[in-house]
Amino acid sequence: MTTSAQNLTSRNERVINTQTLGALPSIEYGLIRAHVFASLVTLVISVLFGILVATKFTFPEFLGGHGWLTWGRLRYNHTQGIFFGWLGNAFLAFFYYVVPRLANRPVLSRRLGWFLFWVWNFAVVLPGWVLVAAGFSQPLEWAEFPLVVDAFVVLAFVLMVFEFVLPFLKARLSDLYVSAWYIIGGIIFTMLAYPVGNLVPELVPGARGAAFSGLWIHDAVGLFVTPFAAAIAYYLIPATTRRAIFSHFLSLVGFWLLFFTYPLNGTHHYVYSAIPMAAQKGAIVASAYLGMAVILVVTNWLLSLRGSSGTVSKDVPLRFVWFGVVSYLVVSLQGSIQALMPVNRFIHFTDWVIGHSHLAMIGFASFIALGGIAHLWQRIPGTRYNERMMNWSFWLLAVGLTLMVTDLTIAGLVEAQVWQSSAPWIDSVRAVGSYWLVRTLSGLPILAGFVLFWTSLVTGPRLSEAITSGTSRVASESIVAFENVSPASATLFSTDWLSYAHVVAFGAGVGFFALSFLVLAVLPGKKLEAEIKQVAPVTMATLTASEQRGRVIYGREGCAYCHTQQIRSLAADVRRFGAPTEPWETKYDYPQLWGTRRIGPDLSREFNLHSRDWQLTHLYNPRLVVRDSVMPPYPWLFDGSPSQPTQEGVEVLAYIQSLGRARQLSGFDHQTLASSVQPETPDMAMASEPSARATPPTVPIAMMGGYSLTAPVLHPASDRDDLQEEVSRGRTLFAANCASCHGSAGRGDGKASASLLPKPANLTAALFSDERLSSVLWNGVAGSAMPPWRQLPTEDLRALVAYIHSLHVPGAAPSTQDDKTLAEGASLFVANCASCHGGGGAGNGPAAGALAPPPTNFRLKKPTQERAWDVLENGVPGTAMPPWRSQLSADQRRVLVEFVRSLYGPPQENSRQ
Amino acid sequence: MINLIVIAISAIMLALLLVWWRWPAFRVWIEAPKYSMLRQERRFDAGSARR
Repeated sequence: MTTSAQNLTSRNERVINTQTLGALPSIEYGLIRAHVFASLVTLVISVLFGILVATKFTFPEFLGGHGWLTWGRLRYNHTQGIFFGWLGNAFLAFFYYVVPRLANRPVLSRRLGWFLFWVWNFAVVLPGWVLVAAGFSQPLEWAEFPLVVDAFVVLAFVLMVFEFVLPFLKARLSDLYVSAWYIIGGIIFTMLAYPVGNLVPELVPGARGAAFSGLWIHDAVGLFVTPFAAAIAYYLIPATTRRAIFSHFLSLVGFWLLFFTYPLNGTHHYVYSAIPMAAQKGAIVASAYLGMAVILVVTNWLLSLRGSSGTVSKDVPLRFVWFGVVSYLVVSLQGSIQALMPVNRFIHFTDWVIGHSHLAMIGFASFIALGGIAHLWQRIPGTRYNERMMNWSFWLLAVGLTLMVTDLTIAGLVEAQVWQSSAPWIDSVRAVGSYWLVRTLSGLPILAGFVLFWTSLVTGPRLSEAITSGTSRVASESIVAFENVSPASATLFSTDWLSYAHVVAFGAGVGFFALSFLVLAVLPGKKLEAEIKQVAPVTMATLTASEQRGRVIYGREGCAYCHTQQIRSLAADVRRFGAPTEPWETKYDYPQLWGTRRIGPDLSREFNLHSRDWQLTHLYNPRLVVRDSVMPPYPWLFDGSPSQPTQEGVEVLAYIQSLGRARQLSGFDHQTLASSVQPETPDMAMASEPSARATPPTVPIAMMGGYSLTAPVLHPASDRDDLQEEVSRGRTLFAANCASCHGSAGRGDGKASASLLPKPANLTAALFSDERLSSVLWNGVAGSAMPPWRQLPTEDLRALVAYIHSLHVPGAAPSTQDDKTLAEGASLFVANCASCHGGGGAGNGPAAGALAPPPTNFRLKKPTQERAWDVLENGVPGTAMPPWRSQLSADQRRVLVEFVRSLYGPPQENSRQ
Repeated sequence: MINLIVIAISAIMLALLLVWWRWPAFRVWIEAPKYSMLRQERRFDAGSARR
């Protein structure tokens, strides 16, 4: 009687034996070579993009004059180049090598293969780079190539199905090796998920679109990169050690777990966001399960390498894979932990995550892909291979990556620490400046390692014969041991349906895609839609056509990759930026620009936060107004100066200034407070922080314009030594935060002053009261570029007050404040100035409420004679103060100068009102 | 959502473990590919050496 297992084995043997003698399926070595070289060329270019991106953190002006070399576009091309150019080509090269071995059939067609090669490289990678550099892109993470390119990506995946999946379907093997499962599942899943992640956010706005984006952000890494890298590792380990993997059962358990949990991870990129909490928590749980799945997968790999430490150390390709396996364990556990809410609230948006993604893309995926390429390259007849250089390549890459990931991880913790405090945002940029420099330097050994890897494939002795070790004793023993297994009990598993294992793998791709699509995108989307319908103000303003065009420019330049537009329901976020983002706020955003990284502050509430001239100056050259900013300059949006924006400059400004307008104008926050109905807060962190819960700051501190009654009056120290110390401290603070506008000596002649209107105050030309300085520092000056600085510690504000006092230079002209002069001045003042400045000169005239900046309060500010004269002569450009030289005679103006200077000080009874 | 994920994963794991524990033939079948992969590798090596 023929048992089922015998059937199974004999059929496989039959399949194999029919081709044993001269009938090995052909392998497309030409296509392998082409994809290997394409992968290495695009790898080096992509890494160069990355190094330029990193360099710009330290030298923001570097190559900053050209749009096509700006940070945002280079960043897009860096990640897309790594994704499509490097890893895509490397995986394709590996498929051509391994599919004929696993399916026992050649790939479908050589001609189709070359067509796929041309599509992948000359319809996707190259035009993608060119279009992004030219300003045609999509501001979505891992989906930056424009939609026209996406069409070719989908075409390429369809071609891959024919080229690589069909051979498995035709072979009808009953024992499909795990690498084949990963290849089939990965191709099918990505073919389906790619258009969803790239196209749907263009059609579904805001929070709902973000749910789809989150799906793709994780799927790109989890279901394109990971399955194919896993396929290489599962193949290369036994192929090199010549010993079967530890457990094929465990490998398939890992496969199913990875395919089940990876897609469900997507929303962990939006923890504490407006996406329904059920979806967030589901993603967090899936992330925890993913960590367990990875432990299982890695355990299987490491057990497969047991007793092979000698081989790992000698065989450089296997060592690459081993490093990748260890990195996979570390990065996956890191990913599971950082998805947890208590960790996520600190490290999300920081450089920690950038370190994490580099560990995933270089440490895991690239190391394994490099190992796969080096392995197959030695098995292609006629190629060259330089083992010494390959060894150097490994060590350079390992050292460079370790340095980079360690550096970025620490940088992320430093940023998180500053963000939790009330320090100004720019302090977090200053704090990690040195880490960014180290990160750039760590890119150099990585680049050198990649170049050496390439060199090692074109130098060294030519391999006249491919490496073979088919006589390995261990291999023979393994196989014989399997063939001696008694098949008597194999009845259940002998039926023909087993030959459809590839169909199950195919179905896994489709099924898990549908599941994740439903659970993470469709269901949360429905809930969001209902919530938006119920809560959104009926009067919500849409963007104008100009603002809409500005939004496109904002996306094109990569602004969303440094500035989020989502305030999370966390006390630290709310304190700094305002009330948490509601789903309806972005209901007109096609595609959403929520962002997943903060180098600059969140911009959700930029409306009314900065003046127009400040914004333009900042866009033209950020360091003109913020000395230590690392934001790139955008001179191509201007005609030579900050005051001359091009049409595009005007449009992007209009968009930036519209952010948060809908919420402010809708009265949403007032309604919420008035009805005492607190919006549903999913934030356990906020609930645990009494300060945030007690006074929900629906409007962020920095947004409160005008004068605050609660502004503390900061008096400098009275003790002389303490005062000296305060002045010294204030000088340092002034140089760091104020000198860009007010000039290093406080004369209002800083770098930014040329483009600001009204000009920054000349702090030497007036005596300011403590009350006035405190109020300006606390509230800013409405209608000017002066922002509030109340996020600085009170001690720092007091030091600034002390330092600004020290800047005052009394005028040289003698004062003539006799009674007659002052009476005449009072009369002139009432007749000409009181409507704005008020009868008593306190800046509270009938017209004052409508003026921004508000009229000067002469009780709190005493200008020098020279300054007061200058103002009466020329007015104050950018304010309502006109020149008076044509209306008043020189004598009258002199009298007025003396009068306004006499007003300084607290009002007294029967004094001049 | 959380319940769904936990139940689904637990069910998949339990089913796989049950089948693995209950049917030795499943173990043979599920482990077979790792040997056939090596056999294929040996064939290709041999073919390559012949060339």
